[in-house]
Amino acid sequence: MAKDFSVVGKNTPRIDGYERVTGTAQYAGDVQLPGMLYARVLRSPHPHARIVSIDTSKAEKLPGVKAIVHHQNAQVVWSSGGRTAKRYIFNNPVRYVGDPVAAVAAIDRHIAEDALGLIEVQYEKLPHVLDAKEALKPDAPKIYPKGNLSVGDGNLTAPITDEWGDLEKGFKEADRIFEDTYVTKHVNNAQLEPRVSVAKWDAGKLTVWASTQGVSNCRTDLAKDLGLPLSKVRVICKYMGAGFGNKNQCQDIDLMAAVLAKAAGRPVKVEFTREDDFIGMHGRWSSEQHYKVGVKKDGTITAVELDALTNVGAYRKSTGNLSGTDFYQIPNFKKTVNPVHTNTVVAANYRAPAYPQSIFGFASFLDQIAHELGVNPLEMFKRNAIRLYKNKTPFTSNYLEQCIIEGAKRIDWTQKWHKPGAAGGTNKHGIGMALGGYPFRPGLGAATIRVNRDGTAHVLVGVTDIGTGAKTAMAIIASEALGIPLSQIQLTNGDTDVTPYSVGESGSRNTAFTGPAVIAAAQDVRKQIFAVAAAQLKAKPEELDLKEGQVFVRADASRKLPLSKALARSGELIGRATTNPEFKGVEGKSFAAHFSEVEVDITTGHVKVLRYVAAHDSGTIINRLAAESQIKGGVVQGIGMALTEELLIDRPTGMPINPNYRDAKVPTHLEIPEVEVIFIENYDPYGPFGAKVVGEPPITPAVAAVANAIFNATGKRFKELPITPDKILRALYV
Amino acid sequence: MKSFENIDVKSVKEAVTTLQRLRQQGKTALVVSGGSELLQLMKDRVATPDYLVNLKSIPGLSYIKEEKGGFRIGALTTLSEIEENRAVQEKLLILSAAAGEAASPQIRNSGTIGGNICQRPFCWYFRSASFTCLRKGGQVCYAVAGDNRFHAILGGGPSYIVHPSDLAPALVALDARVRIAGPSGEKTILLEKFFVLPRVDFKKENILAPDEIVTEIQVPYPKPQSKGFYHKVRERLAWDHAIVSVATVVQSRGEICQDARVVLGGVAPIPWRATKAEAFLRGKRIDEATTEKASEIALEGATPLKDNGYKIALAKSLVQRSVLAAA
Repeated sequence: MAKDFSVVGKNTPRIDGYERVTGTAQYAGDVQLPGMLYARVLRSPHPHARIVSIDTSKAEKLPGVKAIVHHQNAQVVWSSGGRTAKRYIFNNPVRYVGDPVAAVAAIDRHIAEDALGLIEVQYEKLPHVLDAKEALKPDAPKIYPKGNLSVGDGNLTAPITDEWGDLEKGFKEADRIFEDTYVTKHVNNAQLEPRVSVAKWDAGKLTVWASTQGVSNCRTDLAKDLGLPLSKVRVICKYMGAGFGNKNQCQDIDLMAAVLAKAAGRPVKVEFTREDDFIGMHGRWSSEQHYKVGVKKDGTITAVELDALTNVGAYRKSTGNLSGTDFYQIPNFKKTVNPVHTNTVVAANYRAPAYPQSIFGFASFLDQIAHELGVNPLEMFKRNAIRLYKNKTPFTSNYLEQCIIEGAKRIDWTQKWHKPGAAGGTNKHGIGMALGGYPFRPGLGAATIRVNRDGTAHVLVGVTDIGTGAKTAMAIIASEALGIPLSQIQLTNGDTDVTPYSVGESGSRNTAFTGPAVIAAAQDVRKQIFAVAAAQLKAKPEELDLKEGQVFVRADASRKLPLSKALARSGELIGRATTNPEFKGVEGKSFAAHFSEVEVDITTGHVKVLRYVAAHDSGTIINRLAAESQIKGGVVQGIGMALTEELLIDRPTGMPINPNYRDAKVPTHLEIPEVEVIFIENYDPYGPFGAKVVGEPPITPAVAAVANAIFNATGKRFKELPITPDKILRALYV
Repeated sequence: MKSFENIDVKSVKEAVTTLQRLRQQGKTALVVSGGSELLQLMKDRVATPDYLVNLKSIPGLSYIKEEKGGFRIGALTTLSEIEENRAVQEKLLILSAAAGEAASPQIRNSGTIGGNICQRPFCWYFRSASFTCLRKGGQVCYAVAGDNRFHAILGGGPSYIVHPSDLAPALVALDARVRIAGPSGEKTILLEKFFVLPRVDFKKENILAPDEIVTEIQVPYPKPQSKGFYHKVRERLAWDHAIVSVATVVQSRGEICQDARVVLGGVAPIPWRATKAEAFLRGKRIDEATTEKASEIALEGATPLKDNGYKIALAKSLVQRSVLAAA
């Protein structure tokens, strides 16, 4: 059960909410520096081409143009942009429509944009390939000399494999074996704030205001790629408008800003347009997933084999893995995932990178198998819910089954589920479910806490707060651990010259990594406070406690002292911690069971999500208000991915044709029902105050939960995303 | 966006003479009212005018008036004003409905009726500066070999755009007329005759010359015993164009149809009036069977491209549904 806390677990409004909604928060785009130039990026119109020549003379003559960089005068490696082959900020050959060719800095935005049109580039077109399957054929155009399978080191190798148990034995034990293929498409992160980067050089020291999810990793990347010591690079990001994975680390825009600022001798702001963001950053990798699943008559899984292709686009920035089978108890397992290069927009991290597309495939298929076996899907998912990681290792905590039970109860599954396609009328009702979650891991964190003489405290952490409420979460943890009211806590974040290391807001690691460091720093400073207060309270330091800003003797709370008095002579006290806990013999995961109810208009093919229930096991909830919003946001993205979103590439030319909010069909409020959030709250023995992770889990089962409800409504199985009206009408009438 | 100069004009006449003068000087000029559509085209460098002639500075072009036999709606009236106008809601329900289904609330607050019927296509090839398509002076309609899931099934060729307006099908179904001002004065024509098929001219969507502007829309009162219905299907419930829309007006006596208008949006380069289906319905009892037959007739001659065949079944369903609802 959850423990009693004074600040943790309440509905706490964001500590930076006021400045965010009143417009006083300074985002990277708001940074204005004296003499600052504006920059725009020229991108390749060809999916695969060699740049024969590049002539910038006309652009240079345009009044107001101050610097132009391209592959000949700015050969800077962008190491986090391509991790299996060397990628530069400007490449030759260019490998997808959108590959940067040049960047121009000018005294205003319009001049920079006009200058792009004056750069003359001669291309020699090369044959291109857009489809992952086509790209693996022996006669396919080679994007890299060694071929299109993306082979690298470590978790970036190819194929990505995993295996346990005895697959052959598992299939022998099965009563039935099913095989099928599921297909998912490239979708963009589509965060509200496009990437912006402002760079400034002062006597060899670089300062970058970046819209990055991680100031520490962005600094490390910049230092490495520009050949600078860490001490000569400062990265600042105090507010940002989300990223969902495509703003982590250093992006080419940060390097372009640095290079242009150096060339021009003035600060430079590079701004991505919405189109730049859709094609120049990255989205979620598309996939083709072939499953072979062995089951007993009652639905119990005996073996699973997954063979898949993922399309990582022109450069490998992330794994390209598929991990949707992670939530099921599978005794015998084998997977082979081949990440493939194509001449398309790069695909890399988008909220729970390897999960929603993969869970769509596997949970749809399990739903289908349940149907063919005559087993109720609820029973199917409950029976196969994971108990041991890779059929071997226990979890730090696992309340997946309770998520299934409580979620099913809330949506009234037993009353509402019916035979697929059996609902009457033209607006057909359906209900569906799926399981999901995300790994919870420990790791390196750091924090500094200064307790001032007046009893207020100042927390310094490297977190960036991409919209998750990370600043508020850190302040809550600090308040709880210190025994100082939240209102007395000031927090400074996201500045590598001021704040200590943070892992960055990716992989749902912020609370899990930095949270323990905040607690340890609080404990460190509390020790110092008690040492100072002991004499004043005529007690030993270890007999003291601190709550609500009062130092008191634990055995006799009437012997107390306000913190401001206790510290009157000692001055400011500083607590510090760098923590790096490890798991031994256990694995961590947050879990979720999602349920959706839909109505499908069979004359128009339109799907309306009527109701949505999301039940989550994330351990202790640090801030209920923010956590519920996180769950809702994930569900919104999942519904978009299920029903409308897809980045379309024109096949003859390789050009993206809908790189914008209007045509890539990001959902609006009208597509989203009220999302009912249930937290199955239990104290995880390994998390800070018992917390696991919240950020990534909610998007993971949402796509499949909607897809399975559409099956229940129509009796038709949709094996390719997104499930748009045209696909539904074709399935029903053709 | 390419730099441009804005000219505020004070009268329709000044707007027309300004357009004429700029054209004679070899300058490109476009008129702007709400700007919700044009600014996007300019940001994407699909439209790169040297001048914008701002109609918003002309007083008195935004109004909804009722007089002898119908409504007069000024070209600068916003979609929100039309959607929310009590008299329009009571007497021209499908126009109010169509205005309310367009775009998003923000766009409806700035977008005007004149601008709405003069919209450029939302074909993704047309809207991308990367494709020099037929309509922009190029050699090919990229939709033919490309992704044409949203393109025309009727009236296409050599360009396969669909007309994006929500209001236009409703207005054509209401027998609306459009007032146009040009160098030789003003004229009023049936709105149905305003739109141009690509086989007539594939570079424009309507008959307007570069120095002509729309000043007013006139909508007669529907005949007695008329009912209307506007039905729009799209992927997303806001800020999305019709995959197929149908505006229907049926005048009946008892259960017998006296006259009908069936106008489809999202299927053709112009608001597509299904005149044969209208003729078929006249004198018939409106029921499942006649409306099904009418929907077959309405889609006669539809020729799908590789990705948009589903629109035929969808359009038939909508025609049937909307005629039944309007009867």
